[in-house]
Amino acid sequence: MTVAIGLLITFLGFLLSLFSLSLTTSVGTRMAMVLAGIALSLIGIVGVVNRAYLKNAIWKR
Amino acid sequence: MLKRLIPVFLLTAALWGQAATPAAAPATPPPAPVAITDADIKGIEAPKPELRAKGDPDGALTGTVSDVAVVDAKKGLTVGDIANQVGQNKIAINFVWTLIAGFLVMFMQAGFAVVETGLCRAKNANHTMMMNFMVYAVGMLAFWMIGFALQMGGVGAVGNLGGSPVLNSEFTVTLFGKAFGLFGQNGYFLMHNGTYDVTVMVIFLFQMVFMDTALTIVTGSAAERWKFAAFLVSSFILGAFIYPLFANWAWGGGWLANLGANFGLGKGYADFAGSGVVHSVGGLTALALAIIVGPRIGKFDRNGRPHAMPGHDIVLVLTGCFILAFGWFGFNPGSTLGASGSGNLRIGSVAVNTMLAGMGGAFTSMLYMWLRYGKPDSSMSGNGLLAGLVAITAPCGFVNPVGSVIIGLIAGVLVCVSVEFVERVMKIDDPVGAISVHGVNGMFGVIAVGLFADGKSNYGGSWNGVPGSVTGLFYGDASQLVAQLIGVSTLLGVVFTVAFAANVLIDVVVGQRVAAKAELQGLDLPEVGALGYPEFELKS
Repeated sequence: MTVAIGLLITFLGFLLSLFSLSLTTSVGTRMAMVLAGIALSLIGIVGVVNRAYLKNAIWKR
Repeated sequence: MLKRLIPVFLLTAALWGQAATPAAAPATPPPAPVAITDADIKGIEAPKPELRAKGDPDGALTGTVSDVAVVDAKKGLTVGDIANQVGQNKIAINFVWTLIAGFLVMFMQAGFAVVETGLCRAKNANHTMMMNFMVYAVGMLAFWMIGFALQMGGVGAVGNLGGSPVLNSEFTVTLFGKAFGLFGQNGYFLMHNGTYDVTVMVIFLFQMVFMDTALTIVTGSAAERWKFAAFLVSSFILGAFIYPLFANWAWGGGWLANLGANFGLGKGYADFAGSGVVHSVGGLTALALAIIVGPRIGKFDRNGRPHAMPGHDIVLVLTGCFILAFGWFGFNPGSTLGASGSGNLRIGSVAVNTMLAGMGGAFTSMLYMWLRYGKPDSSMSGNGLLAGLVAITAPCGFVNPVGSVIIGLIAGVLVCVSVEFVERVMKIDDPVGAISVHGVNGMFGVIAVGLFADGKSNYGGSWNGVPGSVTGLFYGDASQLVAQLIGVSTLLGVVFTVAFAANVLIDVVVGQRVAAKAELQGLDLPEVGALGYPEFELKS
């Protein structure tokens, strides 16, 4: 379940970047939204998906 | 003494200045162009047969008017015949250039194979080589059947290669009032809808070897514990669906390429030879796989501290890096898809940028390791070279030599920092550093286009259908950087997510990881039935 949430967060990061295309024409605002989207995706990958797998890592057994 | 020399310097400078200034030419108007008629070329004589019969040691008699194909023998040679020959020569040059570049890229498979095998332990040598060998076949099968059509089926006419119109069907959806190209629809099995075509064959070969490069990146991060059957299924899916989709968006006329035309973001997502398309797609899939299969037994202790698991042959590793650097001269300069016309003479610049960035990466990674750990590290120097090459792959056609060196220098440090982060913070076991070399530096290369592109390239006056040259933030166009960042966001948010989900599914159905007993024994016998080094006594 945690992995699915992590993947969802990762994908939401992309959606945030994508919607920057329609919400504004300002280059600066678009850049800020895209950077926020990338950060969100990284949180999803590093902070949620990977962490979920680490809970049952082979070296902890 | 100095005062005496000053007049000499001034005199020398004055003379130099005079010599360097060209004499003003008399203002005569250039002669008006004269149209060539058929009559003008009737008088051109072919070498006489008796001369030709004596051989042609200096080559002066070979390749003359007698080699120009004549359409109508009764009319004889016409201007039309010559124009057709010139056109065919241009396309022939571009065909040969692209094919030879593709052959070089194909040879990179050998480089990847020996780098990865050298970085793994001897007990897994045959298994690692076998994965790198079979990824060529399984990837090609997937791409021939499905992947090529999805990637290039709607690319349209490629002018450098003769402008064949048969790859003309792109599936699009309308979003934000604009057409978003999602995947191509022509070219399944290279027979579908008229795609049995000489131009299509050249495009297929070149794109196929690029796709296979992405696939072979993944085998490195999951090496020494990846089940062979799972590897085959995973590679097929990556080659048939995941890679082609992103490649379509970037290179096949899809929505990322059109960010410039549709939303005013620079010249759209620009990835000259595939830092994002090839290396990040491979590197992020490698990350997904490494998370799913987990670390090798013994890589981390119970406290999560990593332990070094040295590869068995550093000679193989560095030889493989050289093979890869050689193949990169096909990868990057070949991505012009031609040597003649449309700004393609920039191939020299692309090749030099490629080698300079590789140098920068090797140099700074060696220095980083030397300063941090007291010795220059051979395998990380090799990875630094590869990181520089990966990072310059997207910008190589758009940046100048200084920009290339800076990109390479940054990539060399970035790969070392990233390897430490992946291993110590994320606690992911990546035996060859594929995630850092290809995933991280691939994304850095994509961003580097948006920073360092100097606006001096000119590939037929436009890029992705937007007039002008690709220009990055440092040269005045911030919107190009936004397009590049959207590409990075797509790689992270879509490619990683889809690759992860697909490989979780394979894990459930096939199982991704070998049994612990097989892993401890070494995968050569349990997975592929023969030892890589049968006469050696191996320590487990």
